[in-house]
Amino acid sequence: MYKKIKWSYLYLLFVFILLYLPIFFLVVYSFNAGDVMQGWDGFSLKHYNELFADTRILEIIVNTFLIALLSSLLATVIGTAGALYIYNQTNALTKNIFLSLNNILLVSPDVIIGASFLILFTVVGFSLGFVSVLLAHIAFSIPIVVLMVLPRLQEMNQSLVIAAKDLGAGNWQMLSRVILPVISPGILAGFFMALTYSLDDFAVTFFVTGNGFSTLSVEIYSRARQGVSLEINALSAMMFLVSLALVFIYYVISTRFAKSKKRGTRLVLPASEGL
Amino acid sequence: MKLHAFLVTMYLLTKSEDWALTNTSTPIIEFKNISLSYDDNEVLKNIDLELEAGKFYTLLGPSGSGKTTILNLISGQLTATHGNILFEGNVINDVPVEKRNMNTVFQDYGLFPNMNVYDNVAFGPSIKGMNKATIKTKVTEMLDLVKLSQFADREINELSGGQRQRVAIARALANDPEILLLDEPLSALDYKLRKDMQSELREIQQRLGITFVFVTHDQEEALAMSDWIFVMNDGVIQQNGSPEDIYDEPINHFVADFIGESNILDGIMKADYLVHFVGKDFENVDAGMRPNERVEVVLRPEDLDLTTVDQAKLIVTIEDQSFRGDYYEITAIDDDGNEWQVQATNKATVGSRLGLTFDPEDIHIMRFNESEDDFDARLESYDDDAAE
Repeated sequence: MYKKIKWSYLYLLFVFILLYLPIFFLVVYSFNAGDVMQGWDGFSLKHYNELFADTRILEIIVNTFLIALLSSLLATVIGTAGALYIYNQTNALTKNIFLSLNNILLVSPDVIIGASFLILFTVVGFSLGFVSVLLAHIAFSIPIVVLMVLPRLQEMNQSLVIAAKDLGAGNWQMLSRVILPVISPGILAGFFMALTYSLDDFAVTFFVTGNGFSTLSVEIYSRARQGVSLEINALSAMMFLVSLALVFIYYVISTRFAKSKKRGTRLVLPASEGL
Repeated sequence: MKLHAFLVTMYLLTKSEDWALTNTSTPIIEFKNISLSYDDNEVLKNIDLELEAGKFYTLLGPSGSGKTTILNLISGQLTATHGNILFEGNVINDVPVEKRNMNTVFQDYGLFPNMNVYDNVAFGPSIKGMNKATIKTKVTEMLDLVKLSQFADREINELSGGQRQRVAIARALANDPEILLLDEPLSALDYKLRKDMQSELREIQQRLGITFVFVTHDQEEALAMSDWIFVMNDGVIQQNGSPEDIYDEPINHFVADFIGESNILDGIMKADYLVHFVGKDFENVDAGMRPNERVEVVLRPEDLDLTTVDQAKLIVTIEDQSFRGDYYEITAIDDDGNEWQVQATNKATVGSRLGLTFDPEDIHIMRFNESEDDFDARLESYDDDAAE
């Protein structure tokens, strides 16, 4: 028995090392005094200094976060409304159609979504830039929010709605005072999920960014093509720090939720992909 | 002298007011020929009923009998396929749930998990737009009523089942409903707690003086709490009456079987006051039936006594007995093979032959397919006979 536990621990350790080693490697070399990722020339913060001197990068960081925050906020609002609509559909056929439409978007490759948005914007004559990226991000975030919110609605006790009505609440009061607070963990999870998806999206953004406008993932990609600079390592390290912070914030908020309700069900952390 | 005249006038006034109340009051709820069907499935069939204000009513029946459907029709969650529902004389068929002055205690309570006890109870009053101070008074009063004053700040999931039950009652009553609807609210509680809640609910109803409509499948609960019981089966009201009436004078096989334990036997009314069953003639108190009409005979286990063979109206063999605390439940078989349930205070020996005895008035006769009106008229005629 004792031995078994030890083996499983070792296996777990191995998996985590495998997962985190590249990131660790990347972060460590961002502090390298040399300019390549071969050979350690001593500790230095010079790549970070270069990074902070690079105003274009700073502008792109601001853009990326602005896009992420705005798109995930709007997608949360639209997605929650969509989930409520699907939930309230009594007709099984329409319900399934909407669900399928939602899920198809979720599983279809980013490249296809990106390409189709590019075609759409070009056909309509929409100029590519901040707004086009924002719209595309909102679009691919909505299904994620629906996916997070809908299960919460479905596991909500139906008699809460009936009870609210019974006590005299109109539709709006029922929604704002009972339904939304009850499903708020799902909404929160949907928001954070959309945020991480937007922050690290490359494929869709790559298609719909015009000249001049860029987000971090697109920028890192284009710089990496011109030869690896350790400035990118520094940037990636900072992004990693940000994603750590996001995970932490999410934990704090969700445990506060859990504490105030003691519902026993800890929120499921969204599968946050490496930034 | 003056004082005396005043008192007399006051007395007369109150008298006349009483008179006015009893004679002109319309029922608080009235069903007129209500039916409800889903596709081809008829859930309720031509229901007529009247509820008077201030009474404790129980809708009693097995699951699928239509009792909860009636409750949902009163609250407005369901709409009848045809027929009219009246509230204090006005048709309310199209009045939505939130506009009806009645509240429901749900089977699973339906408490809002995102609010604490206080906010749950305050929900109704705050929806109505009352100011904070009024709400506070109301909530405090309600929590006092259900003995939960100490628990105002508790979260719902920190409460026991019984406490949640109380919060649900307080929340429903905080809206000052004219009718409180209770949908099997005690079914999730354990036996002891259920007993306590039964008497407490009854107490609350009498204190507030509002109409309670209570749905249950538990006949014991119905008998213990109600002023008036509607026994439902197959979407039809089988019988309605006071608990005593329903227990003592069940109208048909279903009611006799569903309410309490019964020995039900086929019989023939040979003549007035003479009934034939298990191969013998017995004197009884029923009359007014066709000669030799086939009937069912009901004898309650507690009305039967065990006696010696020579004093017996019927000789039986003891098959089985079980101890029930305050009595022994005995199963016995007569010589024709009929099974008899007897509640006896004394122990009997299994396998022994004993006599059964009962009084003529313990024999209750049920006619086949007798309508409730005919049944009531028949029973009333016995009372008249007795009075003569």
